[in-house]
Amino acid sequence: MSRHPLLRACTTVLALLVSAAPVAAHAGSVGLASRGAPVPSWSVIAAGAAAVGASFLFTSLLTDRQFVERVPRRGWSLPPVAPIFVGVVRWTAVAAVPLVIVAGVIGPDEPVANLLTLVVWIAWWAGYTMTTYVVGNTWPALNPWRTVAPLFPVEPRSLPRRVGSWPSVAGLLALVALEVLSPVTGDPRLLAAAVVGYSLVTVAGAAAFGDAWFDRVDPVARMFALYGRFAPIRRTDAGLHIGLPGAGLARDSTVYDPDDVAFVVALVWVTTFDGLVATAAWERLTDATAAVGVPASAVTLSGLLGGFGCFLGCYWLAARWVRRTAPTYVTTRYLAGWFAPALVPIAAGYHFAHFVGYLTGFAPTIAAVAVDPVSPPASLPVLSPPGWFGALVLLAIIVGHVVAVWVAHARAFDLFAGRVQPIRSQYPFAGVAVCYTTVSLWIVAQPIATGIS
Amino acid sequence: MSLQSHPPETTLSDDGTTAAVCPYCDRPFVTERQRALHVGERHNATEAERRAYEAARDAESDELFRLHLKVIFAVGLLYAASIVGGVVAFSLPG
Ligand SMILES: [Zn+2]
Repeated sequence: MSRHPLLRACTTVLALLVSAAPVAAHAGSVGLASRGAPVPSWSVIAAGAAAVGASFLFTSLLTDRQFVERVPRRGWSLPPVAPIFVGVVRWTAVAAVPLVIVAGVIGPDEPVANLLTLVVWIAWWAGYTMTTYVVGNTWPALNPWRTVAPLFPVEPRSLPRRVGSWPSVAGLLALVALEVLSPVTGDPRLLAAAVVGYSLVTVAGAAAFGDAWFDRVDPVARMFALYGRFAPIRRTDAGLHIGLPGAGLARDSTVYDPDDVAFVVALVWVTTFDGLVATAAWERLTDATAAVGVPASAVTLSGLLGGFGCFLGCYWLAARWVRRTAPTYVTTRYLAGWFAPALVPIAAGYHFAHFVGYLTGFAPTIAAVAVDPVSPPASLPVLSPPGWFGALVLLAIIVGHVVAVWVAHARAFDLFAGRVQPIRSQYPFAGVAVCYTTVSLWIVAQPIATGIS
Repeated sequence: MSLQSHPPETTLSDDGTTAAVCPYCDRPFVTERQRALHVGERHNATEAERRAYEAARDAESDELFRLHLKVIFAVGLLYAASIVGGVVAFSLPG
């Protein structure tokens, strides 16, 4: 039908315009909800799920192969960063780690007045992580543990190939279990111990196994590397490159192995889970189970692992189902690995949604505490985010899912020939995406039980 | 241009259906049409393969048209559902 170039261009523009519309309309309705209008949260959730479904439908109208392949390739190359600058930043980071740990140990007990707690959870876990997907992954250059590890004269050995990147999956789940189960978020001394422990393990591992440690074991470096593939600024063989967000994922030529797929799924799940355990609903659940004698930590741990297993299973089933809907002889394992990069924008969107409020709220607190970490002023400035932040939060989740739909669309056009088969291959994943948006928005719409401390 | 340097891993279905196989990269396809489209897009097709590709593309266009009609119908349904949902949501008490 769309054989005429002009007609084709019109269809494309129209499809692009309309696919942006539901998102904007959705943000409006959320704005109402956050101002306390009588819109029940289920309608917000339904609208969000509908926005993701609609974006899949509109994306399926984009069948101009050349257009689909050309868009992610737009971009420019950037001049390299001066090595002296990188050196200064890198060693500043190395010096900052012990200073912040000491500040945490001798500083006040309240987490909101303690520099270590603020730097780890707000500046780094919330703020720095955001820069890895909004700007680019600077962690390989900045990582202080990577900088000091080669200074230790240890006989280098190679990490066994058969362990793959499973250690990083276990590491990520362990890190999040530590965060939600132990009082590490509220106890600066415990946090200092955890940072020292992480430093010892990381430096020892990196000294023994070299860069393989950061590629396959260290969950933090792997997480930033994945977010960096989404970011507009990316490192390529030809130097730094700036392009559209998500384009790096659409153009990623690697097929993820099952261990890498598990890591991506774990990343999406832990970001969601971080939000889930903070809700009042989760608190009610753990209270209810505690009443019948099941400790809250057991419920939380099984929620973390069970949710991860459930999500990984759903993703794998969706990949298997693609063989039927496309239809195709490509293996389930290959399909799961081929489409896994599309999950990264979902994780980024959810991370942004979860932390943008904390970051803006506590940014002035960090500045005030950093001036005098030992005895900070008694009344610390904390911003309360404006009402439209609620809309921003939901918008971030939906944009994440919409970019994910687009990345999967581009990858489907690369894997399959023609125009019908790539679209058919996306039915199962679109179903999973709509379900996951529903869950994510339900969590975000829940009242929060506790704050950062 | 494709991102993949090798054809993807494939397994045939259990019922032992004979597949159409690409003569250039040995990738199996469920239908003859899929193979014709693949050869036309990814390889230097011969004259006969070029004609098969054009025919497959025409046949696919008809299917794509029906698919897009369904999509437009689904979008309309979704739009109607969200309006009804919105009206119900705003008229609920509390
Ligand atoms: Zn071929």
